[in-house]
Amino acid sequence: MSTKIVWRLPVYLAIGLLGGGFAYWADPYLIQIALGVVVAALLALSWDVLSRCGQVSLGHAGFFGIGAYFSAMFAEFHPAIPWIAGIGACAIAAALLGMLTLRLQRVYFTIATLGFALALQVPVLIFDGWTGGAGGIAPALVAGGDPAAQLLVGTALLVIAAVISDVVLSAWFRPAFFMIRTKPELAASSGVPVVRTKLLAFVMSGALGGAAGVLYAGLYGYIVPGDVFNLNWSVLPLAVTILGGMDTTLGPLLGTIVLRLLEEVARAYIGGVGYQVVYGGVIIFFIAVMPTGLYGFLRGIVMRLRSDATKADKP
Amino acid sequence: MTTAISIRNVTKSFGGLMALNDVSFDFAAGRIIGLIGPNGSGKSTLVNVLTGQFQRTSGSLRFGEHEIGTLRADEIVRLGVARTYQIPKMPPQLTISEIIEVPLHYVARRTPLLEKLSGPEAIARFCGLTQPVSTPCGQLSVPDLRRLEVARAVACGPSVILLDETMAGLSPADATQVVDLVRAINAAGVTVVLIEHVMRIINLLCEQVVVLNNGALLTSGAPASVLAEPAVREAYLGKGYVQ
Amino acid sequence: MDFATLLQPLLLSLAAASLYAAVASGLTLEFGVVKIVNFAHGDFVMLGAFVTYFLATRYGISPALGMFIAALLMGALSALVYYGFLARILKQDQHNQLLATLGLSILIVNTAAILWTPDARALHVPEILPTLHLGRVTIPGNNLFVALVGVCLYLALLYVLNYSRWGTLMRLASDDPELATYSGLDVNKAFALAFIIGGFSAGIAGGLVSLVLYVQPLVGIDLGIRAFAIIALGGLGSVPGAMIGAVVLSIVEGIVNAFVPGGGSWGYGIAFVVLIAVFLVRPYGLFGKELRS
Repeated sequence: MSTKIVWRLPVYLAIGLLGGGFAYWADPYLIQIALGVVVAALLALSWDVLSRCGQVSLGHAGFFGIGAYFSAMFAEFHPAIPWIAGIGACAIAAALLGMLTLRLQRVYFTIATLGFALALQVPVLIFDGWTGGAGGIAPALVAGGDPAAQLLVGTALLVIAAVISDVVLSAWFRPAFFMIRTKPELAASSGVPVVRTKLLAFVMSGALGGAAGVLYAGLYGYIVPGDVFNLNWSVLPLAVTILGGMDTTLGPLLGTIVLRLLEEVARAYIGGVGYQVVYGGVIIFFIAVMPTGLYGFLRGIVMRLRSDATKADKP
Repeated sequence: MTTAISIRNVTKSFGGLMALNDVSFDFAAGRIIGLIGPNGSGKSTLVNVLTGQFQRTSGSLRFGEHEIGTLRADEIVRLGVARTYQIPKMPPQLTISEIIEVPLHYVARRTPLLEKLSGPEAIARFCGLTQPVSTPCGQLSVPDLRRLEVARAVACGPSVILLDETMAGLSPADATQVVDLVRAINAAGVTVVLIEHVMRIINLLCEQVVVLNNGALLTSGAPASVLAEPAVREAYLGKGYVQ
Repeated sequence: MDFATLLQPLLLSLAAASLYAAVASGLTLEFGVVKIVNFAHGDFVMLGAFVTYFLATRYGISPALGMFIAALLMGALSALVYYGFLARILKQDQHNQLLATLGLSILIVNTAAILWTPDARALHVPEILPTLHLGRVTIPGNNLFVALVGVCLYLALLYVLNYSRWGTLMRLASDDPELATYSGLDVNKAFALAFIIGGFSAGIAGGLVSLVLYVQPLVGIDLGIRAFAIIALGGLGSVPGAMIGAVVLSIVEGIVNAFVPGGGSWGYGIAFVVLIAVFLVRPYGLFGKELRS
């Protein structure tokens, strides 16, 4: 059923408390892990928002990188400016790319987003006066470089992202988005302005991805193109969301936590090359066997337990 | 007699294939009109062109003072022309009530019929759905999905509704239910266009019948005379649809 | 600039077109006809290339034979994929199809990178056909072979689709699955057939790839994307359109490579730009029909 924002306040509180708790009491190693989870969760939520209207993006590495680089290019100004620049540039990029590609068949949109992410490294290398080229650049540090404070900033962003995600899952948007995904003509015949809605979703998705990029860039104070435009940032949100549960807000969060653990294990055994094979396997397994993800699976168990409990009460 | 929709010299070609060839006729307002023709005659194409899924190659489609031939599908619905899809494909997780609410939110037209039916539950019951409106589409039977499709179209608050093969494969009891529903919709002032193969229904309900064949208008008129025309019988040669 | 200087890249472009058409043929069947969105098609080609490469370098099997062995293996792999999980996913919506085949692509590319390292390998075999000399224009024998086999594969698929019983079944199953089922057709088997034939043709295309391109895990991604671009250019479901799309694309690429400095490093970026440009003018491809809903 569609989400009612008011009932979700406990969830936002929980996220805030969890993040805050880590920030105040966890040791530096755990804080770093938490920061990684927050960045990945932001990306995952941004990916899922777009996926709900049937568009699969492989281009979130592009938004991630744009966010990071625009933050870097506007680093000398007031601390709010890098955020506005990074998120704003992503929103504009999404709008332009969307206008070109959202009318096409969906597989071509996906291919276009892949091209978008891959192509962005070229201007970064060409305009090295502004971007520092292959050598990299120093973005604006978030929260003065203090990891605990950075985690608080990240947690706040995550709560905002969760609210945005829940708005998209609310009664006004969710059914329209799903109709667009299942049969766009049906949505159009029900009065939904399909292309405009998809464009809105894409702009929101790109903006959130950009926010993740600005946060990431500001964690350590240095970025290189090969890192922030790495396709891993495109595949990660996808795999994580499918694992955790698409079309939900908690699914991407759950998936991020679980996959981050799996990833550490896989990297230890398989090493640097090809550990993404885990992503591939996860995606196939969950789409085929558990399309609602871990969150859907757990929810199913809870509902079954509840109905068993009520059945047990009956004579 | 006022005209609900006026179709003038409409042609639609797909590459080399001409699906509609210079078709012209009017849909009279407030009536129940049948649109018939053998498979491949252009009925579906006409409906798709009329409701904005396809762009016509040439010609004019007028609804009131609006030229709808150039409009998007969602714009046409907002003007008051709604349609059903023959094979309803609904997102399985959405409930009956959520589906019906989409046009209530996005079209939001106020019509006498919708004034009477306040809310998704009333619209669902009006269209013959007995399931609780919190039932997800994934659990609905095919007949129920079709009823839901009609409910969705009704929720668009149209002044013209196009029902695409709603009777196909229905049991006599279900068919009677749909006949009553069509009459009820029409009684509220909505022009109903039935795209059908079931001749008994056409005979029963329609005041005007339009026949297409091979992308062109074959004839148009009252059911009794149209169905008696030799050319119409010939178009259906070999297919015994008379029940 | 004399005629030969212009003709040489043009003819090599046509050989490339033939290769692209070979890759696109299988995808035309899967995506254009039975509407299976197979993001991993290019990676099946890549596997076929590796199989042909290893058969040649370890067992001395000529690629002319090796590509058929690769084709059989890819056909078998396709059957495994289809009955393993794809059949189930086809019942879900197209969104999940795209995601699942994307996952398959990621799985295959990374497995290849783990097994065979990301290094690029070049296959050096004696020319299968003699080098062709037309005045001052030279076509190496292997390029000629690729061009001929590519065209043959493409024509074979055209024949299967339009003139064979299998082809009719596949087209019926995708155009009107309800009608097909009522007629007693096993729609699932028709889709499986399309997918398996697609895999078989990917194997052959892979063999061709091993003759003229570097064999490495990422080669399939480029080719797969070009194949989608070609299908879109030519118009969905149109097999002749795919050939024309392949020719258009490879000529544009050839010109950019030959006359624009640094153009060669744009990879499939050209395909992408051409695609967008064509779609802005003709939303259904150069020869496409509008898709019925």
